[in-house]
Amino acid sequence: MADTPPAGTGAVRPHPLLELESVSRVYGEEIEVYALREVSLQIHPGEFMSIVGPSGSGKSTMLGLLGVLDLPTSGTIRVAGQDVSLLDDPTRSKLRGDSIGFVFQQFHLIPHLTAVGNVETALLYRDLRPKERRDRCRAALEELGLGARADHRPVQMSGGEQQRVALARAIVTEPLMILADEPTGALDSTNAAHVLEIFANLQSPERAVVMVTHDATVARRANRMISMRDGRIVGDEYRGEEPR
Amino acid sequence: MSDFDDLVGVAWSGLRARKIRTLLIMLGPIIGVAAMVSAVGLTESAKGALQQQLSQLGTNLVIAQAGGSFGSQTPTFPGDAVERVENVSTVESASATTNLSGVIALPIKGASTYYEAFPVPVRASDDQLPGVLGVPMVSGRWLNASDTRLHTLSVVLGEGIAKQYGYLPGESRTIDLSGTNFGVVGVLGAVPLDPELDNAAFVTQWAAQNVFHTNGQPNQLYIRTQPDATQATAAVIPTAINLGGPAQSSTQIPSDVLQAQAQANKTLQQVALLAGLLALTVGGIGIANVMSISVIQRSPEIGIRRAVGHSRSKIGAQFLLESLFVGVLGGLVGALLGIVVVYTVSAFSGWVVVIDYAQIPLWMGLALLVSITAGLYPSIKAARLEPLETLRLG
Repeated sequence: MADTPPAGTGAVRPHPLLELESVSRVYGEEIEVYALREVSLQIHPGEFMSIVGPSGSGKSTMLGLLGVLDLPTSGTIRVAGQDVSLLDDPTRSKLRGDSIGFVFQQFHLIPHLTAVGNVETALLYRDLRPKERRDRCRAALEELGLGARADHRPVQMSGGEQQRVALARAIVTEPLMILADEPTGALDSTNAAHVLEIFANLQSPERAVVMVTHDATVARRANRMISMRDGRIVGDEYRGEEPR
Repeated sequence: MSDFDDLVGVAWSGLRARKIRTLLIMLGPIIGVAAMVSAVGLTESAKGALQQQLSQLGTNLVIAQAGGSFGSQTPTFPGDAVERVENVSTVESASATTNLSGVIALPIKGASTYYEAFPVPVRASDDQLPGVLGVPMVSGRWLNASDTRLHTLSVVLGEGIAKQYGYLPGESRTIDLSGTNFGVVGVLGAVPLDPELDNAAFVTQWAAQNVFHTNGQPNQLYIRTQPDATQATAAVIPTAINLGGPAQSSTQIPSDVLQAQAQANKTLQQVALLAGLLALTVGGIGIANVMSISVIQRSPEIGIRRAVGHSRSKIGAQFLLESLFVGVLGGLVGALLGIVVVYTVSAFSGWVVVIDYAQIPLWMGLALLVSITAGLYPSIKAARLEPLETLRLG
């Protein structure tokens, strides 16, 4: 993205990475429950965003939609300019794999695979030679200080280490957006601080980091905070660095 | 690295991660295929020795016996019966023998009382007989053209009579045939398809006509036919011999009796096959069950794979491939196990192992089919799983 201006210049905003246009998500058929109601949101490269709200506010639904794991009942979601509702499953899956890296509260590592095996799942079905794939995964683990743990299984690792493996899995594809769901929810304060530190560093001019959390301290680490309540966005404030 | 290679790796690691479970669901195809391979193998091997003998003897020998004709005590064929039979297009070779019922054979001087009471059958034969029968000489040689041309007084003994006479291979020995000494030139091997020949002594047609003064007309014909035309040939031979006259001969295919004995117990075989099929089916249900539970247990794995970009079809293919591996490996192990069972039981029972290896891929294919069918429902279930529901988002 050569046309991206440096942070803080306040010049031209790049195209949004992800765009929600009056998106609603309704569950149930006879009794309709609006989990998300007419939400519009743009996420730009370089943003470190947090989405906060009490439970039932629509955070999880939002996360599912942002991660293209779910489709809206009405409205449009565009990832890199493409309307995801118009794509078939293989194309949508590829788009998800290419542009979004997920980090979950419960890590969701596959128990029978080693750290490097777990990271490798993100690089499968991409026509890579096994050696190249493995090298990239080891490099990602190395980057997160887990080089020595590459051949360990999840049960042999601490929570903090497991979450870093999950992070390695999220970044190994070099996605445009990291989408995290309560990434520190299952960690003690030391590990949580460490993981948040890494998150802050993951942000780059080309990449957005989005964290869903109910923890206000965690949310305040981000420089844009979206507040949700009853399926609507009720607050959108920029903190620290001002919008570019 | 193609998508398929990746898929194989993923499915294989999924199976390897749960070795006991994999082994347990593999038991269905293993037991099913092993049961079917050993069912057929054991029932065939129980008759293996007979089948082996039969395949050596051939099932294409026809024996024609002259029927009763008016005015003669011993029914006979026309003198040119061999030529007539050889005109039948499906006949490969033929040989004739003549019973010399009036000839008394005495191996030892002074034993005449016994051998007059229990005479050794003496037959005149052409030089083709061992070839047609497919029987080798135990020792010495068969009667040949020189014997006829030089008017030698040669005799060949059947294997049984040679033992009874205490004849040693290569021994210079004469036998008294109705007062004329004949020199023993050879011993014919045992003839399982016509044991009567084992106890006979054979002389040339020349001797029959010139020493014993018979008309030389044959009583029996031994006929080799083309392998697939034995029955049909046996049916037309009486006509061929009598050239349209009243049929005065009967034919039999001596291997038929042996063949009936060598027939495996089909009922037992079918029951065992059915049991194998049942094991395979129950095994298939087991696979479907375990895989379905596995899909639920592994729903977080499915969710995360979907999240990192694996499509629904890839997830479905992953689980289908797991059951396919179960079928292939189970079938392979089952086939090996079945073969081992057949060899072990045969070794203990002294049977000749008969395994129709061409059938084994069929059983293995069946195991594969059952496994894939069983894996279909869990695979579809896995593919349809909504990642959002499995990932428990905060």
